[in-house]
Amino acid sequence: MGTQFIVSLSLIILTFALYIGIAIYNRSKETSEFYVAGRGVPPIYNGMAIGADWMSAASFIGMAGTVMVLGYDGLAYIMGWTGGYLLLTFLLAPQLRKYGRYTVPEFIGDRFNSKTALVIAAICTIIISFTYSIGQLAGSGVVIGRLFEVDARVGTMIGVAIIAVYATFGGMKGITWTQVAQYVILIIAYLIPVIFMSLQITGNPMPWLSYGNVVAELGELDRELGVSQYFAPFDDATKWQFLALMFSLMAGTAGLPHVIVRFYTVATMKAARWSGAWALLFIGLLYLSAPAYAAFSRFILMTQIAGSEIANLPAWTEKWINTGLLQMADTNGDGILQWAEIAISNDIVVMATPEIANLGVFVIGLVAAGAMAAALSTAGGLLIAISSSFSHDIYYRIINPQATEKKRMFVARLSILIATVVAGLVALDPPGVITQIVAWAFAIASGTFFPALLLGVWWKRANAQGVIAGMVVGLVVTLSYIFLAKYGGFSIAGIIDTGAGVFGATAAILTNVIVSLSTPAPTQKIQDEVMDLRYPEQMTYKDGEVWKDETAG
Amino acid sequence: MKKIDKAVADAYFKERIRLIGILLVIWFIVSYVMVFFAESLAQYSFNGFPLHYFMGAQGSVATFIVLLFVNAAISDRIDEKYGLSPKKKIEQTLDRSVNQ
Repeated sequence: MGTQFIVSLSLIILTFALYIGIAIYNRSKETSEFYVAGRGVPPIYNGMAIGADWMSAASFIGMAGTVMVLGYDGLAYIMGWTGGYLLLTFLLAPQLRKYGRYTVPEFIGDRFNSKTALVIAAICTIIISFTYSIGQLAGSGVVIGRLFEVDARVGTMIGVAIIAVYATFGGMKGITWTQVAQYVILIIAYLIPVIFMSLQITGNPMPWLSYGNVVAELGELDRELGVSQYFAPFDDATKWQFLALMFSLMAGTAGLPHVIVRFYTVATMKAARWSGAWALLFIGLLYLSAPAYAAFSRFILMTQIAGSEIANLPAWTEKWINTGLLQMADTNGDGILQWAEIAISNDIVVMATPEIANLGVFVIGLVAAGAMAAALSTAGGLLIAISSSFSHDIYYRIINPQATEKKRMFVARLSILIATVVAGLVALDPPGVITQIVAWAFAIASGTFFPALLLGVWWKRANAQGVIAGMVVGLVVTLSYIFLAKYGGFSIAGIIDTGAGVFGATAAILTNVIVSLSTPAPTQKIQDEVMDLRYPEQMTYKDGEVWKDETAG
Repeated sequence: MKKIDKAVADAYFKERIRLIGILLVIWFIVSYVMVFFAESLAQYSFNGFPLHYFMGAQGSVATFIVLLFVNAAISDRIDEKYGLSPKKKIEQTLDRSVNQ
């Protein structure tokens, strides 16, 4: 255990004490203001809060490793998870803000005036959030596994226990100032190691400017070893897979229920646009740094670790080998560790690199604290989304409308517990690396919510039958493609499981349009409400005429 | 409530749509088109990077951020042009949340 254990654990506990402290301090004030006139978080802070919500274990722990292992092909994640914000901010967020419902299933239920559509949307929310939380739990397993120097599976079990308590306690969802604090810690924890490595390797404190040459040099090293170059495009998968994955992540971003909800806390459509812009600036800071992180890690591994004597490896290697996520075996028996003999899981690159680069106990502990915040906060929020969809949209509105407040509370708690345990069991033997699992959640969102919301906002002719058929077809197509591609060896144009969203979204849009057109149009009232979304709050569309509210101006 | 000429309301909507259309075309070029031509871009280099790698890792993301701020700023100007700037309301809400 030793010093590192004590430093890491204290930093994790200290940062969490800070989040909880801010939450308790602000809780009473915010709940009373939230529904009445609240909704007044300034865009810049709302942007940070969106950033904290957004950056989960996949971004913090998984992404740099994925870019390192996949090379250029991993950049689909970088572009996909940032480019989606344009679709969201241009096409959906301000309009959904004007419509003014509190959750995505509620919007779908009211816009299409259909209980069935509401229930299907609630089921989709549960499936997406569940898949997403498997990735988070696997991420907490990596962090806790390293902390206690145990197998990642034991780490996951400890993580499940912590998250179950954390989520039932109420999580940190919706408490903006906590998330602002979380963002600040997260980004500091991520940037410090990249900046230190940049100084170590290139002597330049600006990693974004300096790592280009390192990338080129990695290509050289690869050429000498006779393996394909780090930056070679479409090395692991086809160009179509890259494009499909990028689309799937972008459309999924625009359809993720727990991200869209964040835009309801701003005051106006104008503030929604600025929040989107600030959010991507804060998120971009991490996404622009991840490929630098990847390049420096790979460079250090290739130049300092590969080539060492197998009997003489640094102490950190053993701790990571204990988690089961790192293998270093002298397969050709020459006593020297070669680059080809290192098998490093995508998921440990961010966590292990500060140790590899010898950045000191404090930085290593800080990265652990940032990673825990990323995994736990997102997992907490997702589990709350699952429980509110189940207890409110399904149980209360469909199964038992007479349920008392107490009974609904009980169902909500019970569903959090069940969801955590089941997700934890799946995460014990994760079906993929963290970014891949999370990519499935995005594929499902792009096959279900993205088409439903896009057509719901921009096409007044879309009706209940259309959206119901569209969401069901989109869900079935996406899920079938993921399973067939992963376990059945099926693929179209080389597109694998993570790119499934492109088929789901196409099928859902076509179905929605065809079914809507062959069934009666929605009522005039609903069509007017959709036309109304074209204009800002001060303008109202009614009976073919536009009215301006002078008092609101 | 004051009735607005339908032509004015339509012009507002068209202006907003045109802006979004232009920005999405740029968005599409820096992401999808650049990936599509990655192999040909690979022979050029920028700031040490092979160009296709630079576009994927930095160029596209930086452009996305700029496009979002451009959208927010120009949209504000369009709102102002049509006398729709919700200035007072925003300031009130800002005050409220700062005072929290």
